[in-house]
Amino acid sequence: MIALENFLILSTILFSIGFFGVLSRKNAILILISVELMLAAVGINFVAFASFFDTSQLSGHIFTLFVIAIAAAEVGLALGIIIRLFRDRNSVNIDEANDLKW
Amino acid sequence: MSIGMQQSWLLTLIPLTSFLIVSLFGKKLPRQGDWIVVLSGSLCFLITLLIIGDFQSFFHGHGFEPVGNNIYNFDWINIPNYLLIEYSTFVDAITVVMLFVVSLVGLMVIIYSIGYMQGEQRYHWYFSLLAFFLAAMFTLITTGNLLQLYLAWEGVGLGSYLLIGFYWEKQSAAEAAKKAFITTRIGDVGLLIGIIMLWRVAGTFDIQTIIQLAQESTFSDGYLTTAMIFLFFGAVGKSAQFPLHVWLPDAMEGPTPVSALIHAATMVVAGVYLVSRMLPIYTLLPIAQNLILITGLITALLAATMGLLAQDIKKVLAYSTVSQLGYMFVALGVGSLTAAMFHLFTHAFFKALLFLGSGSVIHATHKQDISQLGGLKNKMPITFVTFSIGALSLAGIPPLSGFWSKDEILLYTSEFGAIFYGLLLFAALLTAIYSTRLVILTFFGTPKDQEANDHAHESPKLMSVPLLILAFFATVSGFFIFPFVGNLVGFDSGFSGIVYLDHPHDFHIELSTMLVAISVSLLGVLIGYLYWLNADGRRAENAKEWAPEVRNLLLNNYYFDNFYQAIINKFILGLASIIAWFDDQVVNRSGIDGSAQIINYIGFRLKFLQTGKIPNYVLMMALGIILFSFIMVVNY
Repeated sequence: MIALENFLILSTILFSIGFFGVLSRKNAILILISVELMLAAVGINFVAFASFFDTSQLSGHIFTLFVIAIAAAEVGLALGIIIRLFRDRNSVNIDEANDLKW
Repeated sequence: MSIGMQQSWLLTLIPLTSFLIVSLFGKKLPRQGDWIVVLSGSLCFLITLLIIGDFQSFFHGHGFEPVGNNIYNFDWINIPNYLLIEYSTFVDAITVVMLFVVSLVGLMVIIYSIGYMQGEQRYHWYFSLLAFFLAAMFTLITTGNLLQLYLAWEGVGLGSYLLIGFYWEKQSAAEAAKKAFITTRIGDVGLLIGIIMLWRVAGTFDIQTIIQLAQESTFSDGYLTTAMIFLFFGAVGKSAQFPLHVWLPDAMEGPTPVSALIHAATMVVAGVYLVSRMLPIYTLLPIAQNLILITGLITALLAATMGLLAQDIKKVLAYSTVSQLGYMFVALGVGSLTAAMFHLFTHAFFKALLFLGSGSVIHATHKQDISQLGGLKNKMPITFVTFSIGALSLAGIPPLSGFWSKDEILLYTSEFGAIFYGLLLFAALLTAIYSTRLVILTFFGTPKDQEANDHAHESPKLMSVPLLILAFFATVSGFFIFPFVGNLVGFDSGFSGIVYLDHPHDFHIELSTMLVAISVSLLGVLIGYLYWLNADGRRAENAKEWAPEVRNLLLNNYYFDNFYQAIINKFILGLASIIAWFDDQVVNRSGIDGSAQIINYIGFRLKFLQTGKIPNYVLMMALGIILFSFIMVVNY
């Protein structure tokens, strides 16, 4: 059986890549994809812990299903915002969307 | 429900209600609502009579045994085990005397005012203030605890302030009102300190309990003396005693009926009332009692000399009031509650009569300066006769009331010490001289101002009837010292058997002191006659050159006002400018503006964190999460 650590290392790597993407990308769609990566990392963590420690109730699996559902809703919302942004300024570069400041 | 001593709270409620009605709706009411105040004044007088009747039923021969029927109270503020403030009323012999004086003089003044204030502006405001003052005054004399007394004490002070400043368009009236209020406030601070000191040890404000505790020596002597001297300081301020006497002569700026009510018969005797109420404690404290005696003596003498040369008819009366109040304090200082209360009783009638009489003169001639008056005796016969009765009573001519009460004080003082007796006799001589001078310059001789004299006329009935009633009381109230007169009105004994400290004493005529007092009074009247009436007052004119320094000293009231003004200018205003500087620079600029500026600056710097760039926010968020995770790991 694959040890728990391996799942955790995978999810950490995935989370870090996603986090790096959020910080470094300028394109709003790419940031959104990075966020999805981070959510996937969280899901792996949930499932891994649940498989190892909570074999009877599988609550981690259920949580993951919820996370995926909510992530889908969130993507729908975020894409809607991004489309409005694109219609407004003909670009999805978030560096240009900086009107809300001092 | 019958009305008796337990219902004395009605005396607060009725005038207070009429004050509210008249002050709020007076302008819209017929006659501006003066009849409401007259009605409430009459009701109060009626209730007073009922209370006196109830008092009589508990009065057995010598003494008064109330068994709780004279007390009414409920909890006002109650913090269990810490603080209990009651609303309480307490009626005993002192209260009954005060009630009779206040309600009778109050009613007379209200009726007189209808005539005197006719056609004045703010007519309804004047009457509502009279009602307010009466409510506070009745509360003051019926109260059973010190805190309520303090409340009423400030209430009468406020009423006095508003009525002195009734003609506030006049600069001098506005300033006199301020002076009266602030000067009495100085004394009131002492009163408050005294009350708090007594409460700290006794744990109650109830006067009778405090007296009982003091007699059981719950307080240490030094502490009690200090507290009672502070309390006396309040009385000094209110009763215009030396050195806080300066406000009363200026208070004459108010309408004359107000002077009769507040500054002769009722409010100014509040100090005498307070000390009388506390006299069982003062008699335990020789230092405090001697202080009262000496203060009273100095005041009686100083004020009598100042009254000698005053030119304003009302100021002469004001100085004489200060002087007579000094007499009452002398009586309290020698420990005679009877003499003090008796003089208070008679003085209220004849001094209110004198003030109302002078108001009648002022109403007729529109002049207050006695060097401008004269020759009014045929023009205003009722005023002349009643005013003379008041003046002769003040001078101490038998059988008028002032003679009997002054004689009581002189008698007790002569038992106390020859020097006090001598000085008091001298003050009595001066009193006789200036009251004679006042009558002569106002009513006798040739008119100095013919035009004013031609227009002079007797006052309307509304004014002359109160004069006649008060003249009646100024004549007969002195007889109340005789037991058989007390018997006539339903008491088995005279005044000395009703109002007394430890045990009643029977009135007896001490022929020697009485003869001395009579001769001193007659001598004073004779001097007044010789100097101001005989030979057209040429002697008085010549006397002006006798001692110009003394004359100047008296005309300037011993430079008290200048002295106080200098203290205010140099010391108090100097101190005030330091405080003003501190307030402006430290509190305002540094404290309030400064802290606002610091916040403003911090905000200006920090606002640049708000870049509008999403990666920045995310970074902040991530750093925050890392920080908190770190803290959690460390704490775990």
